[in-house]
Amino acid sequence: MSKLNTAITVLTLGILMGWIVSTSMPTSDKPVTLPNAIAAAPTGGDFSLTSADGAFRLKDYRGKVVLIYFGYTFCSDICPTNLALMAQALNGMTENELAQVQALFVSVDPERDKVATLKKYAQHFHETMLGVTGSPTELAEIATRYGAAYRKIEGESEGGYLVDHSSNTYVIAPDGSLHTILPHATPAQEILKVTRKLLTES
Amino acid sequence: MKKPLSQSIIIASSLMLALLSGTLFADTAADITVSNAYVRATAPGQANSVAFMTLHNSSMQAYSLIDAEGQAAKAVELHTHIHENGMMKMRRINKIDLPAHGEVMLKPGGHHIMLIGLKQAAKKGDSIHLSLIFNDGSKKMLTVPVKGMTMQMGSMEHKNGGHDMHPSAPKKMDHNHMH
Repeated sequence: MSKLNTAITVLTLGILMGWIVSTSMPTSDKPVTLPNAIAAAPTGGDFSLTSADGAFRLKDYRGKVVLIYFGYTFCSDICPTNLALMAQALNGMTENELAQVQALFVSVDPERDKVATLKKYAQHFHETMLGVTGSPTELAEIATRYGAAYRKIEGESEGGYLVDHSSNTYVIAPDGSLHTILPHATPAQEILKVTRKLLTES
Repeated sequence: MKKPLSQSIIIASSLMLALLSGTLFADTAADITVSNAYVRATAPGQANSVAFMTLHNSSMQAYSLIDAEGQAAKAVELHTHIHENGMMKMRRINKIDLPAHGEVMLKPGGHHIMLIGLKQAAKKGDSIHLSLIFNDGSKKMLTVPVKGMTMQMGSMEHKNGGHDMHPSAPKKMDHNHMH
């Protein structure tokens, strides 16, 4: 009986501690998913999401370098800037290189971004770029593994909610591993360099 | 009752001052010159766009841009980006300060005029009418060209690219947030 009491006490304390920690975090914004800034290094890994032309499975792209950017079409500056830089890198590739590269735009705003729109949106930047999204749960799980963070901010603007987001480009090696994380506004030449290096190594 | 002369003088000079200052304020928009203004062309499905520009305040007085308006979008707002802990946070702001003899750039990754809910897609070659509203209520009308992404990227790398009227203005705008 006393053992049970101890167990209950420990459990209660644990829950309480957890509650204290979680409530002491900034609560002004409502997070959709926000991996801790000092979380362990992102592991990446396979995922499956939806495109206008069916499922996109990362594991189908072994042998290719995959460039992944998480964003949303409502984003009028940061996302287009990075996607345009990615497109510029793709434009700098030879046909042979391009055949071994897949650029991917993952919308973390499935509420507003439908797959048909995402297809056109991605193709606007580069004809080979794919636009995908998924359920909020799927997206949260994938974003956490990749260390991509985003959260919905309500009532800031007349245009509806805004989304705070990390703005990295994730470079997936031909073996499917997360190889490099390029920060916001990485120049096209740098994206090209990293991609080429991976292609020649494999 | 007859007012003393001195009082009349005070009233008259106050009126003069008010008129004068009115004239001064009316010149706010004239004191601000705008260069390198462009609206970014939208991708299909993109409901919003942004206007960027450089604002020069040639006067000895500090002003602020407090709003912008235009018919091209459902809402036109002043926004900025805060790059914090690896997160890009776009926020609405209620003014952009224009210091005396200063230059403020509205640029990618920073301050910008957000065009929310464009009534039609912003296509390269189009123009969009915008009015800038300053702290004294004066307005400056602008006709802003829409530029494609590649044109901007081109102008980032080749210093003479684009259709900038002031080639002396700094061009490397997109790299400010690199850490």
